[in-house]
Amino acid sequence: MRLGVIAWLMAILLPWPPATASAQDATPPDVLVSRHLAEAEDLRVGSVIRLALDATGTKAREFRVAGIYEPTPDPSRLGQVPRSVRLHLPDLLDMTRPLDVPAGAEYVASVNVALVDPADAEQFARDVNARLPGVLAQPSGEAAGSAGPFRVLERFHLAIAVVTIVAATVFLLALTIMLVDERRETVGVLRLIGLPVRRILVQILLEGVLVASVGAAFGLVLALLSEQLINLFFQWRYDTALVFVRITRDVALTCVAIAVPLGASATVVASWALLRRGGLRLARR
Amino acid sequence: MIVDARGVSRVFSMPAGPVTAVREVTLQIRDGDHIAVRGPSGCGKSTLLHMLGCVETQTSGTLLFDGQDVSRLSDARRSLLRLRHIGFVFQRFFLLPMLTARENVELPMSEAGLPRAARQQRVRELLEYVGLAARADHRPSQLSGGEMQRVAIARALANGPRLLLADEPTGELDETTGAQIAALLDRVNQSGTALVIVTHDPALANRASRVLTMRDGQIESEQVA
Repeated sequence: MRLGVIAWLMAILLPWPPATASAQDATPPDVLVSRHLAEAEDLRVGSVIRLALDATGTKAREFRVAGIYEPTPDPSRLGQVPRSVRLHLPDLLDMTRPLDVPAGAEYVASVNVALVDPADAEQFARDVNARLPGVLAQPSGEAAGSAGPFRVLERFHLAIAVVTIVAATVFLLALTIMLVDERRETVGVLRLIGLPVRRILVQILLEGVLVASVGAAFGLVLALLSEQLINLFFQWRYDTALVFVRITRDVALTCVAIAVPLGASATVVASWALLRRGGLRLARR
Repeated sequence: MIVDARGVSRVFSMPAGPVTAVREVTLQIRDGDHIAVRGPSGCGKSTLLHMLGCVETQTSGTLLFDGQDVSRLSDARRSLLRLRHIGFVFQRFFLLPMLTARENVELPMSEAGLPRAARQQRVRELLEYVGLAARADHRPSQLSGGEMQRVAIARALANGPRLLLADEPTGELDETTGAQIAALLDRVNQSGTALVIVTHDPALANRASRVLTMRDGQIESEQVA
């Protein structure tokens, strides 16, 4: 790359006859084309293409495809197939500069800065604003309000998660009561033999923790498999590298931290309701 | 004296109003006693048995087990009392279906904290005692009614109880098997364990040295052989 800086342009590829011998003498500048564009136009590395500002061929120039890149997935453009070209900045400026603007009169209005740790964004913005009067720095999440829909989506997901957990708790409790009730005769016999309530509760709690742990592990495996399947399907459906579902370590730990105590508690609550009855009444169905 | 019950009553709260199942019963049980309790259905026999076994607590009166006032004991203490000193035999056996005969008998000893070697030795002795050594590894579903009741008796004797309580122990058995179970219970009693049997069966009741007849929650009469 000549300047090490790449700009991009929504390109208009003009129909172009095969390169003539004279055209091949001067090597055209390099560009990168998106995978989608390469597939759509059957471009390969080394292909020579002609780019213009519009369909009439304004400022048309030849370029050589130096590489094909996978565009950075952008959730806000889901469903759009990115057919784009990345040019070196001087080439881009040459093409896009109005005729009455002299070279070198361009200016940069904004710069995106990627931080090693995104959590430093607030502090970084404060430092820049303090040191460079006239420059406004702000975390990208606050910049254009583009994160708004995703915040709403996140809250919606949270609401769904809460409703799911509440519903699952009710279901789990009902299921556990039925399962524990299946064992009422066994519990009744144990009470008659002389096992104290606490001893039986501890036994049931241990079983509950074990079952909840196995259930949580099974749930995680299922989630990981589903993650793969969902991502594969939607990446295929929208022809994107976007990741739609990601089971992170934190998500997994949160799930386990909720599921295991919930399962164990449901077991104990159900068992306690049962054990309040006398041993003989339990044993006699 | 194992049990000293004085004027014990048991009242159950029912939607239609309180029901007095046992009314002012006074009864003493000593080591080696063999007592049968007879009476029509619903006269309070089983409720009395459950109070004697510390499963139910009396509503009024005093019931001392081995000198301890049962009504003042916590659930854990009453459970321990049942585990160490009382054995139960029921009409429906109440064996744990997922355990073998050996494991069913071993369970109370395991809970009482008996070492493994001692438990296994005791299980062998008990199963031989009830004549089921050969069926030790069978589950209840693989045993006949009489065999299940033998296992239940062996389990009841596991921790060497001072008192064995039997609620209609021959109620679900044919006459021959019932007689065998009755003979086994006699043998248990002769070895020094006090035995209280609730039964409708006159033949079983007549084996006892004391026969109590109940009616309307009260002991109507007592016959001593």
